[in-house]
Amino acid sequence: MTTGPGQRRPDESMTLLTSMLERPLDAGYQEAADRRVAAGLPPATPTRTVAVIVMMVLTGFLFAVGAHALRPRPTAAASVKAELISRIESVQADGQQQESRIASLRKEVGDLDALALRQAGANDLTDTIRDLEIAAGVVSLTGPGLTVTLDDAPSAGPDPNPGDRPSSGFDSGRVASSDLQIVVNGLWGVGAEAIAINGHRLTSTAAIRFAGQAIIVNFRPITPPYVITVLGDAARMQQLFEPSFAGVYLAQLREQFGITSDLSASDRLTVPGDSVTRLTAAKPMTGSAAKGTTSPTDKATTGTEPESSETTTSPGTVTPGTSEPNQSFGASR
Amino acid sequence: MIPALGLLVGLTIGLLLDPAVPVWLQPYLPIAVIAALDAVFGAVRAVLDGIFNDKVFVVSFLSNVVVAAFIVFLGDQLGVGAQLSTGVVVVLGVRIFSNVASIRRHLFKA
Repeated sequence: MTTGPGQRRPDESMTLLTSMLERPLDAGYQEAADRRVAAGLPPATPTRTVAVIVMMVLTGFLFAVGAHALRPRPTAAASVKAELISRIESVQADGQQQESRIASLRKEVGDLDALALRQAGANDLTDTIRDLEIAAGVVSLTGPGLTVTLDDAPSAGPDPNPGDRPSSGFDSGRVASSDLQIVVNGLWGVGAEAIAINGHRLTSTAAIRFAGQAIIVNFRPITPPYVITVLGDAARMQQLFEPSFAGVYLAQLREQFGITSDLSASDRLTVPGDSVTRLTAAKPMTGSAAKGTTSPTDKATTGTEPESSETTTSPGTVTPGTSEPNQSFGASR
Repeated sequence: MIPALGLLVGLTIGLLLDPAVPVWLQPYLPIAVIAALDAVFGAVRAVLDGIFNDKVFVVSFLSNVVVAAFIVFLGDQLGVGAQLSTGVVVVLGVRIFSNVASIRRHLFKA
């Protein structure tokens, strides 16, 4: 800036930046100091004048107000969300408690039923009832079998916005309800005797459906990995399953979409019983109704309508011509 | 020392009173805070340079805050409020930075 008239500073076009960088201090300070020196006073005034202190109090006030007013506070949405989550969790816990209570009461009812039947001198009925219960999927079963594990492709990743409606349609790397249906039907087809997905027993009235992107089994949402527990002759099922349609379908899912699947045999597996098997509208046909298709549980829980009965699709009671219970996976997709 | 105490007193009053800032004032608050910060650091540097002047401090403080708020207001009216705010923040930020650097040289001789 202090160059001669003939010369131009090389950075003259950037005087704004230069002055900003070189003289950050307000020029007024220097001028005031020069004036005071010219008047014979010391260049600096004391810092303890009233004006300065008032100004500093004002500054502190401004800082505090600014910090307080501009800090992002938890929004109403966040608190509502937290409240909803806690409510969902408590209701879920309550539901689980009720379910276990149902299971224990069901067991009690079964025991009392057996006792009543024994006292009535109808011992042969207890065996029939037990067989039918097994076929209906009311009781938990154990035995050798297979475990089929399906999981989303690693590329699918976790759902970034689990609460949001999917905007981009279906993610092909995810296991769909139809995939599970095909696998389960294939397993029934190769001789499965009992199937459970993630601990939910598949009975004749069970359905594998989808809601949004969640898979629903027996009206309960399940999350990956999907573990299908199958009871049956493990070696034979494995041998038959892999070349079957479902087996080939699984292999294609793996190759094309990266959906991981694993099939392993085990000597001892357990499937739980389904706690909600109950038919209220369906009735056995008078002619073909086998003796004693009324399950003890229904007799007990629906005492006012003793005619309601289980119509199981087990090999024992299924009418000729109907296939295995895989017909029950109807409404979906 | 006493001005620093004043700053603390002001902070305490602000935190205790917790006044509600009117909504129309809220866009100007960050800019005003930065402008005040610039004036305060300028004053500290002037003290260390030995050329502090209370009148200059008060005037520069008030004019800084008012001008910064006015620029943002004007920008809001013209539809370039965000850009002008950025400009004000950059200019004041550079000034704060070089003043703080100068203070640091005074205090630590480095």
